[in-house]
Amino acid sequence: MKKTCIAMLLAGGQGSRLYALTQQAAKPSVPFGGKYRIIDFPLSNCANSGIDTVGVLTQYRPLQLNSYIGNGQPWDLDVTEGGVYILPPYLGANEQGSWFTGTANAIFQNMAFIEHYNPENVLILSGDHIYKMNYADMLREHIEKDAACTISVLTVSLEEATRFGIMNVGEDGYVNEFEEKPKHPKSNLASMGVYIFNWPKLRQYLIEDDADPNSSKDFGKNIIPKMLAAGEKLWPYRFQGYWRDVGTITSLWDANMDMLSTTLINLYDPEWPIASRSPICPPHYTGPDAEIIHSIVTEGCEIDGHVENSVLSSSVRVEKGARVHYSVLMPGAVVEEGATVEYAIVGENTVIGKGAHVGAEPDGSDSWGVATCGPDLNIRPGAQVPASAMIYTSEEV
Amino acid sequence: MLDFHGIVFAYRAAPALGELVSHRTAASLPFCGRYRLINFPLSSMMNAGIRDVGVIMQRDYQSLLDHLGSGKPWDMSRKSRGLRILPPFGLPEYHKGNYAGTMEALLAVSAYIRDIPQKHIVLMLGDLVANIDLQPILEQHLRSGAAITAICADHTPAGARHRFVLGEDGFVKEALYDVKDGEGLSSLEGYVIEKETLLHLMEQCHAHNYYRFHRDGIGLFLAEGGKMDVAVHEGYAEMIHSVEDYYHASRDMLDPAKRHQVFPADRPVRTKNHEGVSTYYGEHAVSRNSLVADNCIIEGEVENSIVFSGVRIREGAKLKNCIVFRNCVIGENAELNCVISDKDCSFAPGTVLCGSESLPIVVGKGKKI
Repeated sequence: MKKTCIAMLLAGGQGSRLYALTQQAAKPSVPFGGKYRIIDFPLSNCANSGIDTVGVLTQYRPLQLNSYIGNGQPWDLDVTEGGVYILPPYLGANEQGSWFTGTANAIFQNMAFIEHYNPENVLILSGDHIYKMNYADMLREHIEKDAACTISVLTVSLEEATRFGIMNVGEDGYVNEFEEKPKHPKSNLASMGVYIFNWPKLRQYLIEDDADPNSSKDFGKNIIPKMLAAGEKLWPYRFQGYWRDVGTITSLWDANMDMLSTTLINLYDPEWPIASRSPICPPHYTGPDAEIIHSIVTEGCEIDGHVENSVLSSSVRVEKGARVHYSVLMPGAVVEEGATVEYAIVGENTVIGKGAHVGAEPDGSDSWGVATCGPDLNIRPGAQVPASAMIYTSEEV
Repeated sequence: MLDFHGIVFAYRAAPALGELVSHRTAASLPFCGRYRLINFPLSSMMNAGIRDVGVIMQRDYQSLLDHLGSGKPWDMSRKSRGLRILPPFGLPEYHKGNYAGTMEALLAVSAYIRDIPQKHIVLMLGDLVANIDLQPILEQHLRSGAAITAICADHTPAGARHRFVLGEDGFVKEALYDVKDGEGLSSLEGYVIEKETLLHLMEQCHAHNYYRFHRDGIGLFLAEGGKMDVAVHEGYAEMIHSVEDYYHASRDMLDPAKRHQVFPADRPVRTKNHEGVSTYYGEHAVSRNSLVADNCIIEGEVENSIVFSGVRIREGAKLKNCIVFRNCVIGENAELNCVISDKDCSFAPGTVLCGSESLPIVVGKGKKI
């Protein structure tokens, strides 16, 4: 059966700028927004858009991601003809094959998977973006505009534009120039790293690019410029709505805080559910002394302390007299009696000991930042973890 | 456990449950924010490795069917056997009225029971709140060589009806019917029984037109000199036969010690998973001594209450000693005390509704107040 469009999700990188949080697991499986992991967003978008075949390309610590995705059932991706597949690098006959050397190379090495479904179009996604998007709308435009490639773009301010790949468009509306992080941007259309390619065309460019020894095998740096140079039709699809890259500690923390505002992104929308694989725990319990203000709390939590402006994943415990302010607590984190966690991210199953103090309020200085404790740590009672700290091991503090 | 087959009795709907069972049986009563009562026996069986389970139902089972689906949450969606729904079949009298007793319910599905390939059958109630650890009970059953092992409580639950008195050899000497207190152990109406023994008792009861499992079946078994063991479930166990039973058991879950007995981390209670978002607490929200499920938006005050998934509690609303089922909306400044609200109800702004702890008000499904 021929598919109109399948998706390839680039979940590959370690996400090294998340440091301690990605020591044991790839970035897409980092918990996010209480109920979710980052990868739930692109996977749910696929399912909601009617795309039922997704290849997930990964080459870094895939265990968590593998067990999380499983057969794809939470996203309704457990279908007979298609479904969700984890695609690790592999060696073929004569030991041909290698680690993925770039985004385009990752797709090149998995051409056999795409050919198996023989799709007309391929949607390329990233595993580190938080957004709700109907890819079917984008696909419709892609087909209407007869584009070889459609690039989803955001309208940003000209100052912000210097941090993005920027699309310049001609009078006909098609892209005529692509600039990576331009010093003097000519347009405010920033690439979101979401592409739909006509598969036969992409296939041809991937093969050519692979033979080019000077190429870094990257979509933004190599494939798109080559297509432009060859005069292919590239169409910008203008996305409107909430979109965040969560590749750094600050952006991850910011985006989590955004989840407290339904005006930014409405997760309660029954028309566009973001699904997740979650453990089945009892409802969360709020004790006689609990205070919870402007926060989200997930099942399995037990709250006896003070929680404000925070995001609590499942089975978090905040004991009596503990304070949690402007923080992100990942599944199973514990804040013991009298401890304070503020402006911080606490990894899965990490215990903040009695009376410890993690993070600090912004003081206006340049060195201030969100404090981060990695997963599975024991922060000893009374310990002080300053702002901007990045804690990898229990021995550090 | 390969040699055990499960049967859950999900046909009952005690009249004292009133409006709560107007469109469901007790087994599909929502409980503790996200569960249904039938999750307890199914999870006990699942956690003991039982994969083939028949669920006996007779009427008003649509809600139960919706909830059970293919049995996937309990790993009972199998290629062969797995979860089986058992409405009455056979004699036309089984379709009329209500089953007069557990034995009649078993007789109504006797063809299914005859086909069970396993040697032992575990019978459990669908309207009991208890996380029974079956594994050691099944092991004890195999070890003791008794044809029946009765599951008993370590206390006398409110709705319990039967007791077993043990002899000096540790086996059951006498079964007492409709006796609440006194000597012996209180029955949780759960049994591990050899299939052949069960079929024999069913045959005998059928021949004599007996329909009660405990009085007639067990009575006959003991009269014939059968060997019956008891296994004691330690910890929380309450039967749900009335609104009061339901209200008290629900509120017991606010007690951390009791809640952890019913929902221990190592023997989780499984239920159908609904899509979910975390619950949001607004700027003026208050939540004390309460259980709140996912998908809620809490802007008002909640105290000593249980709030199911998808509930909206608007600013200024006050909820005290309440149980609010899925997708209810409590309007601005509404005040509810000792109310059990079935799903999809909405309470207009400013509504005041007050029951009492001994007589909570039950608001039926989908009501607009």
